[in-house]
Amino acid sequence: MRKILVPIKRVIDYAQKIRVDPSKGAQGVQLKNVKMSMNPFCEIAVEEAIQLKEQNKGAEVVAISVGPKQCTETIRTALAMGADRGIHIETKPDVRGDYIDLQPWAIATLLKGVVEKEDAVDLVLLGKQSIDSDCGQTGPLLAGLLNAPQATFAANIERGDDGSFTVERETDTGTETIKLNASGKPAVITCDLRLNTPRYPTMPNIMKAKKKPVETISLEDMVKELGLDLDEVLTPKHEVVEVYEPPPRKEGETVGSIDELLGKLKERGLVA
Amino acid sequence: SETFNSELFRKFGSQNGGLGILGLTAPDEFGGTGLPDATAVSIVHEELSYSDPALCLSYLAHSILLVNNLAVNANDEQLARFMPGICDGSKIGGMCMSEPNAGTDVLGMKSNAVYDSARDGFILNGTKMWITNGTLTGKETGDLFLVYARTGTEKRSDITQFVVEAGMEGFNVGQKITDKLGMRSSPTAELVFENVFLPAKTHVVGDVNGATLCMMRNLEIERVALAAMAVGIARRSLDEMIAYASNRPAFGKSSLFSFGQIQKHISESYAEYMAGKCYLYAMANGLDLSAYGNGLDADGVKLYCATMAKNVADRAIQVMGGYGYCGEYTVERLWRDAKLLEIGGGTNESHHKNMARDLHKLDG
Repeated sequence: MRKILVPIKRVIDYAQKIRVDPSKGAQGVQLKNVKMSMNPFCEIAVEEAIQLKEQNKGAEVVAISVGPKQCTETIRTALAMGADRGIHIETKPDVRGDYIDLQPWAIATLLKGVVEKEDAVDLVLLGKQSIDSDCGQTGPLLAGLLNAPQATFAANIERGDDGSFTVERETDTGTETIKLNASGKPAVITCDLRLNTPRYPTMPNIMKAKKKPVETISLEDMVKELGLDLDEVLTPKHEVVEVYEPPPRKEGETVGSIDELLGKLKERGLVA
Repeated sequence: SETFNSELFRKFGSQNGGLGILGLTAPDEFGGTGLPDATAVSIVHEELSYSDPALCLSYLAHSILLVNNLAVNANDEQLARFMPGICDGSKIGGMCMSEPNAGTDVLGMKSNAVYDSARDGFILNGTKMWITNGTLTGKETGDLFLVYARTGTEKRSDITQFVVEAGMEGFNVGQKITDKLGMRSSPTAELVFENVFLPAKTHVVGDVNGATLCMMRNLEIERVALAAMAVGIARRSLDEMIAYASNRPAFGKSSLFSFGQIQKHISESYAEYMAGKCYLYAMANGLDLSAYGNGLDADGVKLYCATMAKNVADRAIQVMGGYGYCGEYTVERLWRDAKLLEIGGGTNESHHKNMARDLHKLDG
């Protein structure tokens, strides 16, 4: 194996209470002074990449992130887990990654450029979705743009000696196993929860991570380098119309008998 | 109930993909993590104490009192011999300084080591008290200890530092100290030395009669680490009391934040915590582990933070009322654990003595 590319996203930490400011309309989700972390599914992707690297000597794991200056910290976490180097496509501080400004199409377009520029990428591992926008589109879009084989919601990944990948996919109706044949294009696989348990970076690895190279390039420069159009990349294809907190849980209803309960369930179409 | 979690403690070592923090400040060529950085030490102690000050105390006794001391004072041969085991998690130990009748009066220690030229070694006799990690099981001693003992009678400071290993003949647990107020999941023991033979070439750390230098080099980082523990305790207490007050309605108001006494408890706790945290990190950021002579602020930061943590934990119990009084709600344990910091690693009184002496000297 030569290179494994792992795109990672810096998002609001999963344990944080999300606050919505209704006066800010579509931009209502508060990002100021909120703890940010690596998207949990991206962590799983990084862990899988490192495990594959450990099984395939000589493979290089490259972590890449698109976002503001602080993304280098997120990349450092990936390096501390065991990634070899990082690429940071730096955006201006007011550019939002949570579906307001940067959307999957833009990210996938940038990633396609990076894959082609890097060359020798055998595998792109992504989280199945990010926990802020929950789109789940970046992986499939990237595969489409690259005309590459893809498998989503991976719960298990095995690499064959011929360079193929056998992936167990979690679906709503059960598990499906598909084989991505070696094709000269990188396999694009998105990772689901049960794929692995990401390791905690150890102190010695955190320290080694400080010395690993991270290439920082501004979004504008990267777009130019890849021969793309900045407006095209930055203009969102979708507009967020409204953001609101879910309504508070309503009180339940007490019923007097089993018959009444059955009646209510039938009424609501919950029982035939 | 609170018991020492040795399995978890060993995962702090570097073997088997462990966290690698037991040898945080030790050189990596001997198995340590190679980060002789007081800020790193502070962060680790603050974070561990946020959850369990007692486990952190055992961590401090091992990583600072034993590992760091050896890293700074031992020769290469000793480092090669002892360092790997205490960094990888296989060996757990500490340091023996206090005695049943000598604590703040460190140089009043009676444990003594007499040189036997026929065997080129020292015969150690004495008792040490309040030794964290002194025993892990209650019956056998911990694995490795640095022991201070008197080796000369000319000066009070004729003390030598020795390495004592578990299994050495004459080295035993006197008793496990039970029924302590706090720090219950950190094992404390009285250790007894009866004619323990220590080879001069391998088990003397630093110079004979030169241990006060070893002591001085380690006391500053020890006090900073203890202050960091206090900051962790205070931060946790603050988080708990704020969360409780935010969700407790009373007298028709949606939270306790409407009431002045609660506002006072929380705001004063925050300001005191911040003062302690800033003093700690200002001090730690400038502390060079291989030098010494910064005692004034090492004493100062522990003196301030220890009492601060106790007070913040106390206010947390008060804000949380009946719940604060119950073990399930954590703050009562933090209050009990915090109290130790005014005694262990230097009593408040010892800090008063040292700081007044240093300030008097500065005045010329």
